[in-house]
Amino acid sequence: MASRAPVATGRLLIGFRKWYYNLAGFNKLGLMRDDTLYEDSDVAEALRRIPENQYNDRVFRMKRALDLSMKQQILPKEQWTKFEEDVQYLSPYLKEVIQERKEKEEWMKN
Amino acid sequence: MASLRKTHPLLKIANDALVDLPAPSNISVWWNFGSLLGLCLIAQILTGLFLAMHYTADINTAFSSVAHITRDVNYGWLIRDMHANGASFFFICLYSHIGRGLYYGSYLYKETWNIGVVLLLLVMATAFVGYVLPWGQMSFWGATVITNLLSAVPYVGNTLVQWIWGGFSVDNATLTRFFAFHFLFPFVVAGATMVHLLFLHQTGSNNPLGLNSNADKIPFHPYFSYKDLLGFAALLIALVTIALFTPNLLGDPDNFTPANPLDTPPHIKPEWYFLFAYAILRSIPDKLGGVLALLASILVLLVVPFLHTCKMRSMTFRPLSQLLFWTLIADVAVLTWIGGMPVEDPYVIIGQIASVLYFSIFLILFPLAGWVENKLLESI
Repeated sequence: MASRAPVATGRLLIGFRKWYYNLAGFNKLGLMRDDTLYEDSDVAEALRRIPENQYNDRVFRMKRALDLSMKQQILPKEQWTKFEEDVQYLSPYLKEVIQERKEKEEWMKN
Repeated sequence: MASLRKTHPLLKIANDALVDLPAPSNISVWWNFGSLLGLCLIAQILTGLFLAMHYTADINTAFSSVAHITRDVNYGWLIRDMHANGASFFFICLYSHIGRGLYYGSYLYKETWNIGVVLLLLVMATAFVGYVLPWGQMSFWGATVITNLLSAVPYVGNTLVQWIWGGFSVDNATLTRFFAFHFLFPFVVAGATMVHLLFLHQTGSNNPLGLNSNADKIPFHPYFSYKDLLGFAALLIALVTIALFTPNLLGDPDNFTPANPLDTPPHIKPEWYFLFAYAILRSIPDKLGGVLALLASILVLLVVPFLHTCKMRSMTFRPLSQLLFWTLIADVAVLTWIGGMPVEDPYVIIGQIASVLYFSIFLILFPLAGWVENKLLESI
């Protein structure tokens, strides 16, 4: 009983997150979540560190999304980014950049 | 061999702003309102200039000079109607432009945004003093109500009000200086607009997706020069339609009566574009509290950039924030309605709830929604 409850709520939670992911709608433009992050200085630095092929893929997805937005269209359903296939390719680098910045700020204090 | 438009010291300024300016390919109709505001300003300056040739800023002749313009000056009726309704269109464009800024997170260009708030205040001040000039009942009493609010300032309040008035009430001295301000301010707006554009062109425009658009830029000319021209045509058609078919639709009938300091109208209210702020002012029973709330209703825009919590810039992919945004728009519509109603049951409590909601959305709900939206997309 106790072991079943977390699995049930875990499935419910994932189901809810998946529903929200689709509601957000960036997947309909072929974008991944990390493509939509606002480019502040941390994200810009993380972008400088990602492998070239990942950067090029990102640029392709963004250009495609901008073009679709200009035409007021979305991709055919088979091309929507799936919740399970969304890769947080930028997040590990971003975590590293934020950690380095915080460490630097800590050292700068007295 | 670079073209003259790119090398000539004057031409390159125009070139870099209107021809070769890299613009995102996907900016929508909401991006037309910037240039439309420029058109509104030019239209108001031109029509205002021609009105100023025939108007007299003296309490004995102001009202009749406007009647003279309307009846005797060649096309004076048209110039007057275009100027009066042009002010309404100015505010339609302003509120649409600000709404775009809020929805798409354009406020993250902080310098551009802050100058924008200054521009809003300048245009509001210009419209306020401009409405006094015809010297009708609403002109006089609106000026009396709003200038009296300054007496709420502690210690120096009454001195400040009499300094603004140039006397012990709204009178001739007030009218003449308001005419001077109304003539001057649009040129200050024009200067501030250039600084606004200067900062905007440091970064380039935002776009509906809120993404970095460097991957897909197109030149301003011909795409957006022609799109803006279409926008100009749409605005001018709308303005001329109102001016020719229903010129008094947005006006107050009381302003057809010459100002009478001995006869207070039963319902003193500003033009529609100030009603939401008027409702917020009246929602607080204390005079100073009301004045502070009035100021805060505009100045709250200055803190919006600091309350941006979501990792996404635009609300395009944020359904929760979208719901709040449209609630805000509906709330401002309710405040506009309440501002035009008398201070009676049930309008008082509705206005108070709407005022609390207005500030809550900006200061609490928008930041909270952003935080929730971050959490919901955290570990996919």
